[in-house]
This record gives sequence, C-alpha cells and structure tokens, in this order.
Amino acid sequence: MKPKVSIVLLVDAVGALSDRTLHQGNLALVDDSPYGSRNGGTPELVTAVLPGQVVQWTAIHVDVQTPVEIEQIAFLGPGEGAEPVTGAATPVTRPDPGYAAVPAYASGVLLAEPEAPASPYTAAPPSPLASNGLENHDLLVWEGIVPFTMAPGVPYRYRLSIRLHEGPNSVLHVDTPALLRV
Amino acid sequence: MAQQHGIIVLVDVDNALTDRTLDGNAFWFDNMKFLGSTGEGTEHLVTIVPGTYYSDGSQATEQVLNWLPASLGAVPPTVPRNYLAEQALQTDRDALADLAAVGSGDEAGIGRIKDQVGVNAKQSRAAKGVTTAKVLDATGRVAGQNAAATYNYPAPVITDITGPAVEQQIMYPAQYGSPDMIYDGWYWAATVDTSRPGIYSYTMHIQLHELIEREDGLVWQPVDLTCTSALEIISDPKRNAFTGAGLGVLPIPDLPPAP
Repeated sequence: MKPKVSIVLLVDAVGALSDRTLHQGNLALVDDSPYGSRNGGTPELVTAVLPGQVVQWTAIHVDVQTPVEIEQIAFLGPGEGAEPVTGAATPVTRPDPGYAAVPAYASGVLLAEPEAPASPYTAAPPSPLASNGLENHDLLVWEGIVPFTMAPGVPYRYRLSIRLHEGPNSVLHVDTPALLRV
Repeated sequence: MAQQHGIIVLVDVDNALTDRTLDGNAFWFDNMKFLGSTGEGTEHLVTIVPGTYYSDGSQATEQVLNWLPASLGAVPPTVPRNYLAEQALQTDRDALADLAAVGSGDEAGIGRIKDQVGVNAKQSRAAKGVTTAKVLDATGRVAGQNAAATYNYPAPVITDITGPAVEQQIMYPAQYGSPDMIYDGWYWAATVDTSRPGIYSYTMHIQLHELIEREDGLVWQPVDLTCTSALEIISDPKRNAFTGAGLGVLPIPDLPPAP
C-alpha cells in the first residue's frame, strides 16, 4: 500500500477573485493516488484511497505574489453540500458588466453560494493566531489518516475552503471534491 | 510556503539629489502587512518574515525577498526599459525627415529641428544603469535644447545590500538576471534563514544619476546613497490542521453525503 496520497490544489488567485468562484478553471485538483482517481485537474476530483493511508492537501498558487492557503476542509454528512460530485461546474450567471460597472460585492448573484452550517463531523480548527498575534494559515498542515470506518465505493465529499489573501471576501469554497475508499 | 515578498523602494530622485541623502526621500512598501510588517510607505519599514518549522525542528518554509526600486516622477517601472531608447531613436528619425524639407537659409527651420533633436548626455564611467544618452522628459519627449527641469531621471539602481542581516547570514542577497526587459532584466533577491528569530537591519545601496553640465557637454553623474530597512524574523511550529497537534484520523462522517 502506498503510505501517502498527496492532493495538490492549484489556484489561480487573481482569476478566482475576479470571477468570485473557484470554478471556471480557477481551481485544479490533482492527486498521486495509484488506485484510479477520477476527474483529475478539475474541482470534482475523486481521490481513491485505502484505510490507513495518510492524505495530505497542499495549496499551490499560480501567482507567487498572492498568498493562497487552505482555510478549512470539512467532510460533508448526509444532505449537506449544494453541488453534485460529477455535475458540471456550478454556472455563475451574471450579466456582462461592461466597463465601470459597480461590482456586486455586498449582495446579488455573485455571492449566491450560501454559507452552509458547520459540519458536526468537523473538529473545531485550532486557532491559527499563534504567529505574532496574527492569523498565519501557513502554520497548518492539512493531513490525516483514512479511517477504517469509511464505507467502500461511496464518495465522501468535502467542502474545501480556500483563503486568498485577506479581507471579507477572501474565502471561497467548493463542495465537489471527494475521497473514495476502493 | 506563504508567498514571495515584494519590497518596493520608491525614491524621490529630485529631492534626494538636492538633499544628497535618502533620509526622508525613500519610501518602502511590501506585501506582508497582513502578517505583521510595519512602517509601510515610510522609510522605517520592518518586513515580517514568518518562518515555520516542523516538529523535528527543520525549516518548513522558505521565504524569498525581491527588491524593486522605483522612482517618483519618472517613467513607470512597468514600462520596458527600451521605451526611452526607442523614443530617442524616433526623434532622430523625425528630425532627419524634416531636415530634408528645410532650405539652407531657413534659420527658423534649423532651430526647430535642433529642438526636435534635443541634447545628449554622456555617461560617466561609474554610471551603472543609464540606458539612453538622449535627455528625455517623463513622457518620452526630448527635453529641448535647455534640458530644463523637465527631464526624466534614470531609474534608481540597487548596487549592493549590506548590513547586520547579511553579515550575520540571516539573508543571502544576490543580483539575478532574467529575460524580462523590465528593470533592465536585473533584480535583487534573497532567501532568509528563519531559524534565528529577531530584528535585523540591512543597508541598501542605491545609485541615482544627476545631469551635470560640464565644459564638454552634459553628463550623467552617478550619486551613491544608502538607506536602511529591517527584517523581523519570527518562527512558529507547523501543526496538523485537523487535530491541532499531531497526525490523526480524518474527521469523516458515519454516512457519506447523498451523491
């Protein structure tokens, strides 16, 4: 058994912040699992894993000057999550703003993705306030062991939240990636 | 890795040459304010370098610093360096074309063409970064026969980085080349040893160029000045994001979500 599976998140931070979505080609997920992962290179990645393996998530920014960190990885329970695993990327419908359009930061379709309640299966994240009194998400290592309680053949989707620099609109998420025990 | 640090050193060239000092005439700015840099936009920038280490003590984050000089009241640094040279060539071509149309006795016409051609300044042997001899203003037009106060200063050039942060081997600065036409294809960068937290200052050596009128004509005279900044190195341990401590089982629910 391969002891470790790496999942790499390639993020186009400027594209994601401009489109206000991690879809539309702004996020690509790839892994190195040898057991038949699906949808590599898209936000719908299904990573094939075995119990006992360590899975590690790492974010890589396309633009080296823009900080990109994993804000949260939360596995979804029954009935949670808005987006299907294999469906097409959620279309963001918005009119062509043309030039000098007022960006809809506070309301409207651009912020249509609702904030889902926190999953009861997710442990509270440790406070990342340890770096000089400021949040430093670079301190966190996102890795864990695949449990034996996982049912085989069923995708366990997770919400992947990504922080792009800071500010009220800096965190974007997708519900589409999953782990699948083969 | 967090990300690369960009550190801009903005110089008020005109006043720095008048005062013969960068005190009060250099303004520092970096992209790490959100992690604790202080003094943005002043000459007292302290750049935060948030290092991390694994539980075995090894360095987990490499921090890269990039310094970019910029000057107030000059062609923006994002314009390719050959822009001014191209503009200088074009004014010569225009003057040649007009010269064909001017008669031999046309004094006014000759004078007009002289203005069109402008003046050239020689390079002093010690000058490092002057890319065009013709004296142009900040919009790329020739500055005229008088080369009045409207001329464009060449961009400041970083010639060295020294001081305690270098001597104590906290950072390893070096000048690198790139195929980028911006900044003449040269820039200064450094990597940082984050194993020794503390505040370390460094001195930046900057060369400006002053237009001097001498008997044999105009010359770009280099003026070497220095200014100081500091790095604040901190270092924190990496932690598992799911458990807050060491490696554990993934928090997976009993039942998967509906497909």
